[in-house]
Amino acid sequence: MGRTLLSALLALSLSTGLGHAASPWTGGDDLPTNPLACDATPAKAAPKPYDGGQPSKAPDRKGKTLNVVDVPKLVGIGYFNATSKGIADAAKEMGTMKAKTDGPSKANIDDQITLIDNYITSGVDGILFAANDPVAISPVLKKALQAGINVVGYDANSEPGARQWFVNQAEFNGIAKTMVDSMAAEIGEEGAFAIVTSTFTTPNQARWIAEMAAYQKKCHPKMKWLETVEAQEDNILSFNQSNTLINKYGDELKGIFGMTSVATPAAADAVTQAKKCGQVAVVGLATPNAMKPYVSSGCVKSVVLWNPVDLGYAAAYVLRAVADGTLQPGATSVKAGRLGELKVINGSEVLLGSPTVFTKDNINNFDF
Amino acid sequence: MTLRSFIRHETLLALLLALVLVVLSLQSDKFLTVQNLLNQGRLMTETGLIAIAMTFVIATGGIDLSVGSILGLSAILTGVFWQNVGLPLSVTAVAAIAVGTIAGLVNGIIITRFKVPPLIATLATLALYRGLAEGISQARSVRGYPEWFYVLGQGSVLGVPTQLWILLLAAVTASILLAYTRYGRTVYVIGSNEVTARFSGLSVEGTKLALYTASGFTAAVAAVIFVSRVSTTRSDMGTGIELDAITAVVLGGTSIFGGRGTVLGTVIGLCLIQALKNGLLLAGVKGDGTIMLIGAVLILAILASNLFERSGPR
Amino acid sequence: MAVTGVELSSARLQRNRRSGVLKRLMSDYGQEVVVFAAIITLFVVVTMINPRFVSANNLTSIFAGNAYIAVAAIGMSMVIITGNIDVSVGALIGVLATISGTLAVAGYPIWVAWFLPVLVGMAINAVIGVLVAYAKIPSIVVTLGALSILRGGLISVTGGTWISNLPPDFLIAQKRLLGVPVPLIAMVVLTLAAAAWMRYFAFGRSLYALGGNPEAAVASGIPAERRTVAVFIIHGFFAGLATILFATQLQVIQSTVPPNLELTIITAAVIGGASILGGSGTVVGSTLAAILFAAIGSALIFTNVSAYWFRAVIGLLILATVLADMLRRQRST
Repeated sequence: MGRTLLSALLALSLSTGLGHAASPWTGGDDLPTNPLACDATPAKAAPKPYDGGQPSKAPDRKGKTLNVVDVPKLVGIGYFNATSKGIADAAKEMGTMKAKTDGPSKANIDDQITLIDNYITSGVDGILFAANDPVAISPVLKKALQAGINVVGYDANSEPGARQWFVNQAEFNGIAKTMVDSMAAEIGEEGAFAIVTSTFTTPNQARWIAEMAAYQKKCHPKMKWLETVEAQEDNILSFNQSNTLINKYGDELKGIFGMTSVATPAAADAVTQAKKCGQVAVVGLATPNAMKPYVSSGCVKSVVLWNPVDLGYAAAYVLRAVADGTLQPGATSVKAGRLGELKVINGSEVLLGSPTVFTKDNINNFDF
Repeated sequence: MTLRSFIRHETLLALLLALVLVVLSLQSDKFLTVQNLLNQGRLMTETGLIAIAMTFVIATGGIDLSVGSILGLSAILTGVFWQNVGLPLSVTAVAAIAVGTIAGLVNGIIITRFKVPPLIATLATLALYRGLAEGISQARSVRGYPEWFYVLGQGSVLGVPTQLWILLLAAVTASILLAYTRYGRTVYVIGSNEVTARFSGLSVEGTKLALYTASGFTAAVAAVIFVSRVSTTRSDMGTGIELDAITAVVLGGTSIFGGRGTVLGTVIGLCLIQALKNGLLLAGVKGDGTIMLIGAVLILAILASNLFERSGPR
Repeated sequence: MAVTGVELSSARLQRNRRSGVLKRLMSDYGQEVVVFAAIITLFVVVTMINPRFVSANNLTSIFAGNAYIAVAAIGMSMVIITGNIDVSVGALIGVLATISGTLAVAGYPIWVAWFLPVLVGMAINAVIGVLVAYAKIPSIVVTLGALSILRGGLISVTGGTWISNLPPDFLIAQKRLLGVPVPLIAMVVLTLAAAAWMRYFAFGRSLYALGGNPEAAVASGIPAERRTVAVFIIHGFFAGLATILFATQLQVIQSTVPPNLELTIITAAVIGGASILGGSGTVVGSTLAAILFAAIGSALIFTNVSAYWFRAVIGLLILATVLADMLRRQRST
């Protein structure tokens, strides 16, 4: 019985696999991609009207002390510790913002929605969020706007109409280009690589993978994608999955992409312990603190990440500007404290800048 | 004797709930408002529906860990039937609920026909159903449902959130079923002593089969409500909801060894947890502090009730 | 419920009197044999598809990389055999790993960093055991509560800061002894020691009596409460040892609760044969089951099963193992 069921299941998986040919790589989503040019030509930004939402009957908050809650995807991981620190830094610097971070202990859409809903009732002035799901979070954010609360997102977006502004750490196609270019530089134009991601349902990761697929096809057509594996937000599982990839492909595998700040250090550890440093490159998104051992040992050449402290810092300043009325729809830039002027893109997004590439030379200058 | 002990635990719990409500309302004037309380009802409906069915299952000495995965599977199927198969949304919701019910039936068959202990059977289907949800969806979300569908999860009827009516209906029906019918008595007898139940000619297998099927059904209904509330489907929906539901049930006084428990107790337990989550947040306590406190309340409530009764379970 | 357990164990005793090595093996270690056969089948089939599966490196990854699950499942099996359960073990391991890493980085001697968390684990589980045994609160209630308290506590204390800069000597799980990875040795030695203890020592055997028929056990003079507390403390001991393997596997410690770890450990224990009704099961079975899961995870990658269907296939295999065991039992009675 088990065997028939199993074969039926495998047949089903094969057929559905063929049915979803939208992204050639497992783990990508099927939204349209927009790969950047292969050289450093910046993308032509198509002007887009403001498409964010507006709070109704928001009181005049100009110059007044704002009571702000920051709801990240989950608490208890280094990345969101860093964004939270950035928000606290900005609040301290301004002196007119009381910010507190409270998030679910698991990256769970329902817990996050419940938290935001309760904070709306508690009567905060502003909400900063990083969405676990762009669509699922939107009804509750719209409710916040209706209650006259200023809503600004960072890291992971909602539907545009459900928040006023979104601070974009780096555009998806920009990250994809940096990642694939770094990998190509390390393993050559004909190298084969695999991907370790968190889960296939995580929107940011799925978007990056889809953009990476498109960019690789366009600019590094001879590189070979082997497969994508899931490893939750679990560093031991990420380590085991990376090991399995190394063992399965042997010398064929030249590189591993880590798509999360959990997967990348674990992949680097797997490569280190397999004594494959120099033979298998690890390129990925990660926080510098977790990557220091591997970068100092020379096993990992470069780590890609925007500065999450800056991301939180910018989000807090954008919220302040929105509440003060200094950031209005149609603006082309916004002032964000020590970060200076940040550019507005895509109608209602504020761009943090290009991602930082951490190397042996600069990684010890960062502490997050 | 048994009837008396039910009342004991529930009275205790109700007093505790009243105390919590009073204390929390002193902490924040936004807590004890009709609007906030109704909204909390909206947020706890899915867990509540699952917990009500779980009360029956646990009262027979069983358990159903697969409910969160059935929720995920039914949610995914609501979207997939609608978008990929192209059925009208009302039909797909029914079809998804039907599949969830069948998933519950399969649990029941594994437990009654193959004699697999419920914990093991539903631990296996927990992995299987979640896996099916992920495989069928290929990690894609289905979004953009028509407006009318959101009435279920985001709308109101007569000023009360739509799904709260469903929860209310389920709670009343289940209370009557468990407390006043032959079927309900059968549940308790199975839970107290399965061998006795069998010798007294009660349909042990039939009752259990119906319970696990009902558990699948309520999880699937919760799934449709959940999709309507958050307006999208994801294969990881409902992860961990089984522990929330079990917490509410055991806090409500249902013995994990079977034989006792009431729907009213479960509902009070549910309200107590929700009140703590909401009220503590409004009073300025962060989420990690709240889950610690809920853990402590769970242990202390059962401890207190054991001390009062002096005749604890086992 | 207890009645079924007694029926099972008395049937087991009767069958023991029959002759025939194979039969006796099957009746004594039926579930273990099923799981072991599943492991062998899996290895043969996958190796035919991709011979690299049985390369030394991959075997090391499968066994050493998941040894902590097997070690934690040893204690879990004992808890389950006595008719209890513990859903807080994943959170406990997360907490202990954080303590361990913090001590190591703070410059305490390495052995303190390794073994103080073991003591803490035993202490926490002693409290759980007392609540279960003396306050008569069902173990699932106590451990559900403990899960919330440990998880919430860990987040509010650490805020999720990663621990890095661990001293190289601390990383015992990455070391080898005579060419064999330490986690593998730990897994085998601890499993065999626990198995021997449960089979040949009166204390160990009394656990089966306690789970199978508590009233009869008490009547025959077994101090039920004290034994229950002791089992939880032993479980805490194994969780502590599992933590050493868990925390020293990488050069960084995540200091969060590992997602779904308790579910993996419970699944290993019950699929390995620990009856949730209490009274039967062995720690050898739980270790084999932990190996089986680790091997399945690796095998799915080696056989190119679509990653979207991973969990469905794992669920199906677990279900198949459970059903195979039940059919075997029905046939043998």
